[in-house]
Amino acid sequence: MTKHLRIELIIERMAHKRACRVLEAAGMTGYTVLPAMAGYGNSKRWSRDTDLSASGDMVVIISIGDEAKVRGAMEEISNILGSHIGVVTLTEVEVLRPGRF
Amino acid sequence: MDVAISTLLSPIILFFALGMGAALLRSQMSVPEAVAKGMALYLMMAIGLKGGVEMSKNPLTMDVIMVLLSGILLSFLIPAVSFVLLRWTTKLDRIDAAATAAHYGSISIVTFVAATEAVRLSGLESGGHLVAVAALMETPAIITALVLAARGQTKRAKPVAGSEQGELIREVFLNASIVVLVGALIIGWIAGEDGTASVRPFFVDLFQGVLCLFLLDMGLSAGRGLRQGWRQLSVMTVGFGLYMPLVSASIAAVFAYLMSMPAGDAALLITLAASASYIAVPAAMRLALPEAKPSIYLTLSLGVTFPFNVTIGIPLYIFVALMITGQG
Repeated sequence: MTKHLRIELIIERMAHKRACRVLEAAGMTGYTVLPAMAGYGNSKRWSRDTDLSASGDMVVIISIGDEAKVRGAMEEISNILGSHIGVVTLTEVEVLRPGRF
Repeated sequence: MDVAISTLLSPIILFFALGMGAALLRSQMSVPEAVAKGMALYLMMAIGLKGGVEMSKNPLTMDVIMVLLSGILLSFLIPAVSFVLLRWTTKLDRIDAAATAAHYGSISIVTFVAATEAVRLSGLESGGHLVAVAALMETPAIITALVLAARGQTKRAKPVAGSEQGELIREVFLNASIVVLVGALIIGWIAGEDGTASVRPFFVDLFQGVLCLFLLDMGLSAGRGLRQGWRQLSVMTVGFGLYMPLVSASIAAVFAYLMSMPAGDAALLITLAASASYIAVPAAMRLALPEAKPSIYLTLSLGVTFPFNVTIGIPLYIFVALMITGQG
């Protein structure tokens, strides 16, 4: 088992492709995008079925990589979160097949 | 008065009121997301095809071209008026005011569809080219808003990390509503009445029922949006959502009068100008002006202006159209 870092980025749907491009450019070997159903933030509840444009929808992006790659992506991710709605967390995780990351 | 009563008591408006009331009362009723998106596509295809078929019956005259150009001009102009009024009457900053103004210069295709039905119920006729006007009015407002937002910046902002060249252009010019609406309009224009006869049972006969179901969902969306976002709006901002459609309608009424448009066409042009986008523009604003607060512009256009237009606005715009064409 090898220790890696796991990025969990909750971000507005309209900006998720920007975050995905940053992860790809940083050399992350994979990521998964999940839809978020509803939540609360900034003193306001939100849910994904509120408007037809779906511009208020949020998604969760999960990616795992070695520390150098993840730290490399974080500066750009911070830049995205300077403009777009979102939250990012890093967690230390153990992976079974380190060669894949 | 008859127009107002028949519009307000039509099933589409009553279903809208049912949805909005249910959402405000926190009912768990909901239309599945995929069904709502499918219905939106269906309605845009149906209205595009209908407009294309109507256009195929008549040659493209100078009058029609003038109406198309007027639509573009209105979409460029209305955001500038909206921006000035927002800056004067509310405490919104430049970015929020510009993003909100973009919504009011663009159009709501659902309001347009509801107005088309109200015009038909009033016994008036409208030209198919108004569908093309609707498509043309979707995007110029976004350009005006971006110029207004950029004017206040002392230096050119760096693009957000991960931005790709052309992503905003794709979102603005190739969003689903424009592609489907313009595509269906061209298909209807090419195929004509005879060519589209085989799809009439689907696109014409079912239209009213689907519109009722869709407006039920729109009522739910508007009610939920209002319930979740009303705290973000000041009294003056809500006031803007109510008076701005009337300002835009007045400008469009002058255009319609100067072009001597028929009453049905004038009512639809006025409605287009008075409506505010909540599908194409919010998505574009999240890419172009991500600092703007969606809780302001989306709540205002979907939760305040859309219900106002569907219930009070449309009968009023038809009445104004009848007055300026001397039929009132």
